[in-house]
Amino acid sequence: MKAKWQIVMLSAVLAVILSAPVMGADTIKLGGLYNLTGGMSSIDAPALNGAKLQAKLINEAGGVLGKNLEVIGIDTKTDQKAAATGAKKALAMGVVAGLGYGDTTFVMAAAPLFQKKGVPFVTSGATHPMLPKWVGDYMFMVPFGDDDQSFAIAEYTVNKLGAKKVAVWTDNSMDFTKALSKFYKQRITELGGTIVLEDFFMMGDKDFSAQIARLKNADPAPEAVFVSAIPNEAGLTVKQIREAGLTLPIVSGDGFDTELVTTVPGDKLANDVYFSTHTYREDNRPEVLAFVKAYEKEYNRPPENAFAALGFDAVGLIADAIKRANSTDGKALRDALAATKGFKAVTGEISYTRPSGVPMKGVSIISVKNGKYKVEEVWYPKN
Amino acid sequence: MSGGYIAQQIVNGLILGSMYALVAIGFSMIYGIIRLINFAHGEIIMIGAFLTLGLLQKLQLPFPVAAPLVLIAGAVVGIIIEKGAFRPMRGAPQVTGFIASLGVSIMLQNLGILLLTAQPRNFTFPDYLQSVVQIGLVSFRTIDGVIMASALVLMGGLLFLVHKTRLGMAMRATAENIDVARLMGININRTIMATFAIGSALAAIAGLMWGGKFGQIDPLLGFVPGLKSFVAAVIGGVGSIPGAILGGYILGLSEVLFVGLLPPIYSAFRDAFVFSTLILILLVLPNGILGKKMEDRA
Repeated sequence: MKAKWQIVMLSAVLAVILSAPVMGADTIKLGGLYNLTGGMSSIDAPALNGAKLQAKLINEAGGVLGKNLEVIGIDTKTDQKAAATGAKKALAMGVVAGLGYGDTTFVMAAAPLFQKKGVPFVTSGATHPMLPKWVGDYMFMVPFGDDDQSFAIAEYTVNKLGAKKVAVWTDNSMDFTKALSKFYKQRITELGGTIVLEDFFMMGDKDFSAQIARLKNADPAPEAVFVSAIPNEAGLTVKQIREAGLTLPIVSGDGFDTELVTTVPGDKLANDVYFSTHTYREDNRPEVLAFVKAYEKEYNRPPENAFAALGFDAVGLIADAIKRANSTDGKALRDALAATKGFKAVTGEISYTRPSGVPMKGVSIISVKNGKYKVEEVWYPKN
Repeated sequence: MSGGYIAQQIVNGLILGSMYALVAIGFSMIYGIIRLINFAHGEIIMIGAFLTLGLLQKLQLPFPVAAPLVLIAGAVVGIIIEKGAFRPMRGAPQVTGFIASLGVSIMLQNLGILLLTAQPRNFTFPDYLQSVVQIGLVSFRTIDGVIMASALVLMGGLLFLVHKTRLGMAMRATAENIDVARLMGININRTIMATFAIGSALAAIAGLMWGGKFGQIDPLLGFVPGLKSFVAAVIGGVGSIPGAILGGYILGLSEVLFVGLLPPIYSAFRDAFVFSTLILILLVLPNGILGKKMEDRA
């Protein structure tokens, strides 16, 4: 009885292994590395949905170089070891490029393996401005850098909200949140503001009552609080700060670009929140409208956040480079990606003109008032 | 650092402590009766939170109706887990039950991810539970008051049950010596089942409170509070119900005061602090504050 089951299992496994190359014979494979479960899932799952949608649309329009694009999604479970294993798995499947992640920590676990093999890796959402320097010349970014988004919201805090005394809360467990705070503090100080209180927490914390009591008692009283967090803590912090009766503006970066910011506190408490993010939300460029429409049709819901659009853009960027290179060879594809100029992405135009390798893109400042999102302005980097 | 600031932090700690205490009680009762460290206990918090979400938001039941239903459903889940996973291995070495409970825990987490997806969901309580109450220098929300009051009521009811009823007597006898209790004609299976039911019902209610307090739930939410409640149970003395309550409050208070009174740079390390406290307590007071000395401690 036991032996019979083993044979059934073995043949099932063989069937999958043997049929995979047949199915993949005339497709161009892209490895989509994302954390579909765990703390990063609310960022990464929509990104993979966006990536798969773009591949589907491209295939419906005739594919690339006469072949279909296939995004192979790999769940790396918000675990860096799983990210490295996932990268090896994707490379073993013979992907022509990798894409993935909304966070720097996971890119740093996966991308160096692609670099070593000479296969380009495009991050859809990780924003650390040093990424291309750290990983190497096969690393590309779809989004802006953390320096740009922090500068944008810092200038907004001082110039538009008129807050010069600010408190800064930092999630101490991530490269992304620490970088965001660093650049924010730098620009606030440059603009003549002061940091009156710094406090910390850890990804996964649920109770912020102790930090909030300290914020309430800070002397001099802060005029705004910058919360450097990922989506998991975005709604929780807004809810608890407002519930404690504090009304000062809450500002943040693209970690706040999640519906949790309004759904968790509820419309009444989700007020006076400002964050910098990718130019996409509430935007009516034709690329954006077409993307939102296609996404709604495919998944029966509006895109969850900007990361869905960024995943969509990552696949578009790679497909564009494959076309221009007229090849899927690693070196040719890398050169074509590096030569990208004025690629009209949903999240803004992408050109790799800076020596840092970080694209020069606009940054949206979004306000949340009584649960409603509104684009206040679009900020552009000066150089 | 003003008096109001410290008073506020103490209230914050008591609210958190109430939730730890409710979960720690179940931990302690189950250990006391069959010497099982049940790591799946934290997952009952998650199940309770999602049940509340379903009852309040999908079925639109009023809060006073939903709360007792969550209590009952938690008890049923506890009975199912006991019958399915732990009864078949009764009498096996302690470590077997411990490993089995880890297995149940991981299974329930993954079941949650499969059925509900790993995406966090928002969770809204009715408005009358969200309003802010200001007493002197201290402010908290109605829900926080409800959490503290109902934790006290439930714990009082439990102590009454254990010390003043026949079932409670049977439970204490079984905890004392399972074989002798059986010889005395106590229905062991029923007593153990009742223990799981009560412990799990309290954890499910803690899940309701968790969702109401933080407003955001996901299938993995039970793991860390489950571990912390285990720490609370150890601090108080595993097997002792008053110990679990005391441990829960001590842990909640010290966690908040650790963040509130030390320089902010240490704020991120509250969990490290909790688990270092566990090691320290085990070194200094191996039986916890109110625990009895036992030769066969795990």
